[in-house]
Amino acid sequence: MLVGLRAGMLELPVGRTMEDLENNTTVFSTLRSLNNFISQRMEGVSGLATPGSSQSSLQMQYQQRMQLEEQAGQIHSKSQLLQVEWEKMQMELSHKRARIELEKAANTNARNYEREADRNQELLTRIKQYQERETEAENKLKEQMEMNKSYKKSMETMSKKLQEKESKLAEANETITVLKGKISELQWNIMNQEMQMTSQDSQKQELMEQLDVEKKKWQEASQQIQTLQASQSLLAEYEQKIKDLEQKLSQQEHDALIVKNMKAELARFPKMERELRQLREENAYFREMKENNGLLKEEVEGLQRKLERYEKVQAQLVTVELENEKLLRKLQSWEKLDQSTGLNIRTPDDFSRQIVALQQRELALKEQNSTFMSSARMLEKARRQLQEEVLGVQSQLLDEKKKREHQEALVRRLQKRVVLLTKERDGMRAILESYDSELTPAEHSPQLSRRMREAEDMVQKLHAHNTELEAQLSQVLEEVGNHKQRAEMLEVEMKVLKSQECMAEQSTVITKEEVDALRLKIEELESERSKLEEEKRSLEMQLEKLTLQGDYDPSRTKVVHFSMNPMSLAKQQRKEEQQQLQEECERLRELVRVLKGGGSISGNLEGVGGFQSPQEVAELKKQVESAELKNQRLKEVFQTKIQEFRKVCYTLTGYQIDITTENQYRLSSIYAEHQGDCLLFKASSSSGGKMQLLETEFSRTIRELIELHLLRQDSIPAFLSALTLDLFSRQTIA
Amino acid sequence: MAAQLQLGREHQGITLRGSAELVAEFFSYGINSILYQRGIYPPETFTRVQKYGLTLLVTTDPDLANYLNNVTEQMKEWLYKCIVQRLVVVISSIESGEVLERWQFDIECDKTAKDDNGPREKSQKAIQDEIRSVIRQITATVTFLPLLESACAFDLLIYTDKDLAVPEKWEESGPQFIANSEEVRLRSFTTTIHKVNTSVAYKKDSVP
Repeated sequence: MLVGLRAGMLELPVGRTMEDLENNTTVFSTLRSLNNFISQRMEGVSGLATPGSSQSSLQMQYQQRMQLEEQAGQIHSKSQLLQVEWEKMQMELSHKRARIELEKAANTNARNYEREADRNQELLTRIKQYQERETEAENKLKEQMEMNKSYKKSMETMSKKLQEKESKLAEANETITVLKGKISELQWNIMNQEMQMTSQDSQKQELMEQLDVEKKKWQEASQQIQTLQASQSLLAEYEQKIKDLEQKLSQQEHDALIVKNMKAELARFPKMERELRQLREENAYFREMKENNGLLKEEVEGLQRKLERYEKVQAQLVTVELENEKLLRKLQSWEKLDQSTGLNIRTPDDFSRQIVALQQRELALKEQNSTFMSSARMLEKARRQLQEEVLGVQSQLLDEKKKREHQEALVRRLQKRVVLLTKERDGMRAILESYDSELTPAEHSPQLSRRMREAEDMVQKLHAHNTELEAQLSQVLEEVGNHKQRAEMLEVEMKVLKSQECMAEQSTVITKEEVDALRLKIEELESERSKLEEEKRSLEMQLEKLTLQGDYDPSRTKVVHFSMNPMSLAKQQRKEEQQQLQEECERLRELVRVLKGGGSISGNLEGVGGFQSPQEVAELKKQVESAELKNQRLKEVFQTKIQEFRKVCYTLTGYQIDITTENQYRLSSIYAEHQGDCLLFKASSSSGGKMQLLETEFSRTIRELIELHLLRQDSIPAFLSALTLDLFSRQTIA
Repeated sequence: MAAQLQLGREHQGITLRGSAELVAEFFSYGINSILYQRGIYPPETFTRVQKYGLTLLVTTDPDLANYLNNVTEQMKEWLYKCIVQRLVVVISSIESGEVLERWQFDIECDKTAKDDNGPREKSQKAIQDEIRSVIRQITATVTFLPLLESACAFDLLIYTDKDLAVPEKWEESGPQFIANSEEVRLRSFTTTIHKVNTSVAYKKDSVP
């Protein structure tokens, strides 16, 4: 039973430890429980031992203790075993755990390994890719190299081309030199032609001289012809004269007959003369007479005219006298009028003066009239005012009368009251006296006297009141009198005004016409005014409309704007655009025309191309210009170089070499005796193979040298130097 | 402090100089609005600006802006001298040169303002309100004005007193009337020194 308990006791901690493996205090706890158990056991033992014998108990105790110790040792060993087992369990657990951990690690490692392997594969694929790329790059490189090579080739070809061009240039230079030779030849030809020309000129001059001689001869011949013609005409004239003279002769014969007749008549002539004289005298006389007659006639006419005039005057005189009489009568009547009227009108001037004065008076009267009119109007107004006042006053008067009646009624009532009061007083006095008579005066006298006094006071008051009322009455009466006076005055005024009105009415009758006329005028003016107002309104409307339309008064206003405004700019731009478009249109039209005509399309297309890309054209032009410039410079350089080279050759070798025609060279020595001395060589081919000496005038003179050096030695330089030496020696000797 | 100053100025009313500047500014914005609304210049050359409590469109074209600036400055001077009577925006077809529209701003100057220097009693706020309504009306007129079919350009005419010396870069011009026109009067505003009456005249449609 104990053991079971112990085992249970021991199991507990084990179970606990099983629950919590990491608790290290389990050992101590078991120890503690063991100790507890021992102590309990000891108490139990001691409790059990006490009732036994003490002697045997010691041994028993000892044995028990030993047993207990053994048991304790067993328990201890058991616990140790348990502990060991426990430790083993723990160890196993930890081992398991470690194993699990290791397995986990292994798993992770395996995964890592797999990943690594994957990565490796990836890397491998990448490497492969890179390798491929490398191969590609190599291929590219190769291609590049090939391209490079091709470029090099092209470069070479280009250089070849350049060389070709250079060679061409050289050829061109050669052609230039050839052309120069041609030019010199042509110059030579020109010289020859000039020579021919001079000879022809001289021939021409000769011919001209001959012509002159011929001309002179011709002139002479023509002169002779002229003289002949003149003589012929003279002859004809003479014949004509002869005929005329013959006619004259016949006429003279006729005349002679006439003369004879005339002589007979002449004998009668003196008589006739005498008669003529007489007749002339008579004639003169008659003429004088005729003149006198004309004069007389004129006088008669003048007198007749005068007479007519006088007659007219006489008739007029009669009428005038009649008029005069009439006028005298009139005058007399006027004078009589003067006498009758009593005015001193003697002359028309007086009369006119009178009239003027009258007119002035009329004017003055009119003015007076108008003033009267105005005063009448004023008075009318005043009258109206006064009438109104009178009405007012009358109403006042009525009021006052009513008041007075009222007052009078009041007075009557008061008088009645006074009478009543006096009667009352008398009554009272009678009563008092009766009392007095009844009572002893000694007893009641003070009372009575007081009453008396009171009554008397009352009476006095009444009297005062009465007098007051009377005074009021008198005042009212006075007022009424005043009003009456005023009313009378007003009535008088009214009368005056009425009389004035009558006067005014008379004047108004006169002025009514005027007023009517003035009214008409006013009406006319009103209508005119309304018309004008309407017109004004319409004009204002128009003006507003015009201002809205932007109209302005040019005398006061000026319109300005900015000169570079957008409108003008836009217009300018438009114009330019239009011009451009027109130009383009024209160009295109021309193109169309050319195309229709089937003209050279290429040129036009070029033109189109140029038109389409003017920039390109400009660029090409620039290129051409630069190329031309280059060419020009090269030419210049070549020219100078050639000149230099030629000069050097001339000074060094002593020969000037010119190219006359193709493959022909002319050599002229520095020491030549004549300018025309020269040698001509001909090359067998253009590349300068064998040279042949051509015959010239000069070459004929040096046959020995030719024979020696060219024919025998076959050396042109030797020949030339020999010639040079020869010529040099000749010059120096000379 | 600054706000107080501002407030003080607003309460102070308006001087001749201030009035001239205000009116010139109105012209600048008004002309810009007309140019935008009537499509004289492409809409993409305009930018939005806040003014008078409205979103207005102002040109960004440098040439046009320069031109308008020149005119506005000159107007300011003339307004200050009280010698300008009218500003007209003439819109005409580039092709035919025919005048199609005339925007007219009649200016009534109170010439007594030149002599008395005291400011008038009208707040800037009230004037700006009036200007705003005028500009709104200008914007609204697009609804009834005929469409401008051809390409158009504009010009600014200024009616001044006769004794004005024409400055450099300026020249005299004709009034450029519309042959057959219809007129509409718009609102007006006044700074009490300058009164601006706005009206627009446009060519009657030949086909009704």
